[in-house]
Amino acid sequence: MEQVSADDLLAWIREFARLVAENRDALTELDAAIGDGDHGANMHRGTTAVLAAVDGAAPAAPGALVKKVGTTLVSTVGGASGPLYGTFFLRLGTALGDAATASPADVAAALRAGVEGVVARGRAEAGDKTMVDALLPAVTACEEALAAGRTWAEALAAAAEAAAAGRDATTPMVARKGRASYLGERSAGHPDPGATSAALLLAAAAGTLAGGSR
Amino acid sequence: MSAPGAAGRSRVGIVVVSHSRALAEAAVGLAAEMVPGQAVRVAVAAGLDETTFGTDAVRIAAAVEEVDDGDGVVVLLDVGSALLSAEMALEMVADDVRERVVLSPAPLVEGLLVATVTAAGGADRAEVAAEARAALLAKESHLGSAPATAPVTAPAGEPGPAADGFLTGSFVVANAHGLHARPAARLVAEVRRLDADVTVRDLTTGTGPVPAGSLSRVATLGALRGHEVEVAARGPAAREAVDRVLALAARSFDDDDDDEAPGAVEEQPGPAGTAPSPGPLPASPGIAVGPAVHLPAVPVPVDERPAGPPEHEERRLADALAAVRRDVARARDRAGPGQAGVFAAHLLLLDDAELTGAARAGTGAGAPAAGAWARAVADLEATWAALPDPYLRARAADVRAVGDQVLRALAGEAPEPGVDVDGVLVADDLTPARAGALDPRRVAGVALAGGSPTSHAAILVRALGIPAVVAAGAGLLDVADGTPLVVDGTEGRVLVDPPAAVVAEYRARRRELADRHARDTAEAAREALTRDGRRVTVSANVGSVADARAAAATGADGVGLLRTEVLFLDRDRPPTAEEQEQEYRAVLDALAGRPVAIRTLDVGGDKPLRYWPQPAETDPFLGVRGVRLSLTRPDLLRTQLAAVCRAARHGPVRLLVPMVTVVEEVLAVRRLLAEAAAPGPVPAGLQVGVMVEVPAVALDVEAFLPHVDVLSIGTNDLTQYTLAAARGHPALAALADPLHPAVLRLVGETASRAAGRAAVSVCGEVAADPAAVPVLVGLGVRELSVAPSAVAGVKAAVRQLDTGACAELARRCLAATGAAEVRALLRAAAPDA
Repeated sequence: MEQVSADDLLAWIREFARLVAENRDALTELDAAIGDGDHGANMHRGTTAVLAAVDGAAPAAPGALVKKVGTTLVSTVGGASGPLYGTFFLRLGTALGDAATASPADVAAALRAGVEGVVARGRAEAGDKTMVDALLPAVTACEEALAAGRTWAEALAAAAEAAAAGRDATTPMVARKGRASYLGERSAGHPDPGATSAALLLAAAAGTLAGGSR
Repeated sequence: MSAPGAAGRSRVGIVVVSHSRALAEAAVGLAAEMVPGQAVRVAVAAGLDETTFGTDAVRIAAAVEEVDDGDGVVVLLDVGSALLSAEMALEMVADDVRERVVLSPAPLVEGLLVATVTAAGGADRAEVAAEARAALLAKESHLGSAPATAPVTAPAGEPGPAADGFLTGSFVVANAHGLHARPAARLVAEVRRLDADVTVRDLTTGTGPVPAGSLSRVATLGALRGHEVEVAARGPAAREAVDRVLALAARSFDDDDDDEAPGAVEEQPGPAGTAPSPGPLPASPGIAVGPAVHLPAVPVPVDERPAGPPEHEERRLADALAAVRRDVARARDRAGPGQAGVFAAHLLLLDDAELTGAARAGTGAGAPAAGAWARAVADLEATWAALPDPYLRARAADVRAVGDQVLRALAGEAPEPGVDVDGVLVADDLTPARAGALDPRRVAGVALAGGSPTSHAAILVRALGIPAVVAAGAGLLDVADGTPLVVDGTEGRVLVDPPAAVVAEYRARRRELADRHARDTAEAAREALTRDGRRVTVSANVGSVADARAAAATGADGVGLLRTEVLFLDRDRPPTAEEQEQEYRAVLDALAGRPVAIRTLDVGGDKPLRYWPQPAETDPFLGVRGVRLSLTRPDLLRTQLAAVCRAARHGPVRLLVPMVTVVEEVLAVRRLLAEAAAPGPVPAGLQVGVMVEVPAVALDVEAFLPHVDVLSIGTNDLTQYTLAAARGHPALAALADPLHPAVLRLVGETASRAAGRAAVSVCGEVAADPAAVPVLVGLGVRELSVAPSAVAGVKAAVRQLDTGACAELARRCLAATGAAEVRALLRAAAPDA
């Protein structure tokens, strides 16, 4: 049976950091349209710090690794994404526990715990035009694929697709949370920056967590 | 209002969370100027570094730990991620630290200034947080149209004009628990039906002004006993609004705090908010033994349907509110009139413009009805939960209970099911609806992990006579179903699976209590004779037919005082003679041949009548009230006297005239009585009496004796007028003692002069005090009239007495140098002392 190792998770994190760096300006532009224009810079600062923190000193267990990612993001992102992504990774780490490796089902359950943490932290619901709109359908798609007997790689691909679709679905929405909500109706017509970075997180997973990068 | 703990002044720490370090440090500098030379523990957790904007949960957690000195921390925040990071930080600190941290919703700069000043003064954290929260009000009232800048030109109690067309007046809160939900509900109800814009403001704390028509805002004003509150009104009915509020305040908002539990939260040692689990606390006296039966909380359904169009969501919310309103009204009717106040507060919350307005703003912005309502309720609940006063804080449970009921209705679910268990009910807390529906024949006792003795659930459980303890701690919830439990609601104890010998002991005590109760009730119906064979009648003071029935059931020898005000209040025209006759005869019927003393309408400036406008009084208790007022409207008095005459043809009736000062008043009433009885004579059996409330009557009793059959001494007013101490004045409670020798001398003078010429009865609260009964009997009083619930106890006290010994005791009391010495003499003479 497939197992997800700390190395797989590290590859995921590195790929996420790479995608954030690549999309830094695009994220900032999106945020400038409906927020305070710092999402790209904030996330880039956070993921850069994460790379520095795990470089050469990455914890050997999956749970400990993602917790380290979480605490680093909390202290370095600065904006609301800090506690939100931080909570996501910390809950993920708690759910993964101390085991040396995790099964796909374990990882899917941990992703669900992480998303629930984000929902609780931000008190956002589906449809509020936030990262939750990308994360929730992604986790659900992943669980459904596994339940239907699909492979881990297929499940991750489904999750990435669902996240991208969820991101796109935020475009017509009117923001009800965060600084974009100050704009009211004017927030419609742009995808949500948080949902966009969350879609990057899932895209990174699809290419790495099933051993794709090795 | 600060209540520092026994250990001395609090040292509350402050943490400033901002995106910008420069902003936070400048704000701290500004605040420090307010308290030069005083050390307040302040830490900054702001920015990722000197110049990078951002917040960091780890840094916030460290700052909290740094300034926490055991007295807690108030955290002030700017926007957005500051909230998320601060909440996350709370998850990172130690459990005990987390319990003492308050995240303040106050605006950062204003809140920090006020919090710094309040903390420097040694206030506890709840108070610091509450003051910070109120910090925006000064600015709001300055810039807005609120009347806070209007000078208070009138002395306390007297309405007067102020700037901006506002009329203002002020009053001092006399209610033991302050202006909490029930008195606030009365205030809101009073002003809502008037065409006036009314606000109230706590002058003592500077909080407010808030709209007087909003329960949530008035109750969260946090006005405690002794606070001075200003009422301001403008609009066509401004004058009436101010008068009505002041009158309502003068009668303590018609809310009798006496029914609160012994050992209420505020009497617990320690400053507010420092004892998270003070329990278990006694909430309803008595002993229960039985198997634990868990009452699981009914989960509140989350309606996950996506939002429809805003109009649709608003409609759904309105429908749900209407449905819950009907449910609450039904629960109120089931619980009976004594507990109606609990449910009245719930009904007002369902109508509260602030709460429903916040929810509607949510649906208007596209949120689903359930989500919008849940958020509005959570905000209000959090506001109440952050109040410094523990009693007011406990009211947050009411908000939640009402909120959950509406969520249930929105999800299309039935109202919370009733309770169907046999044994000792174990739960985290009870909603008033469920508490009121308990069946005392099946539920032996109640043990709650949470709750408070002053909660509405506790009041309802007490009214049902079910022994209960509250705040027993979460551990109670781990007890398995069926585990033997002992609940001692008198001492505040819960014993889990105690040894058989202990259970047997408690069972014996429970039997003993039940036997004693049965014995007292049985004995109460018999007449009360002293040991030397003198009869003392013990009658009841009542205000309604229902009261009269209760009095008859407790063995009262009659009604010593029937207050008739209820017949006249809250209506648009005065009651007809027929209506009144019907009421008086119903009371006579309830007493089945025992005498009933009917007091004519006793109102003044404190109880305005809609059909009889009266000028506001500077001091209603020294103004035109009682018979003074009645004689200004002879038509109304004649109608009441006609009804009394008609009732007197059906049973033994006494007429009592209140607030009499001079003989001419009695003669005037007698003339009207003769007119009212026409065409027949005044019924032969009708006795005419006066209330002895004004000291002049007691001192000049000889002048009255030729004209009266009865002298009924109202010791409450007699005490207030003799000692010049207003009833219910919070600072004069000790002075206004009816056992002061001066008051006793007036009672003795009245009784001895009237002996053999007129009946003398005492109908004040002092008559219900078993310790005071010997001195009253010793002074020659042979008729007492007390609250129905006190009849049995007073009769039992009479049966212990010897009139000779009482007379000797009374002589010594009259020679005492003060009320304290009288009380000491009575204690020494008590049979079981």
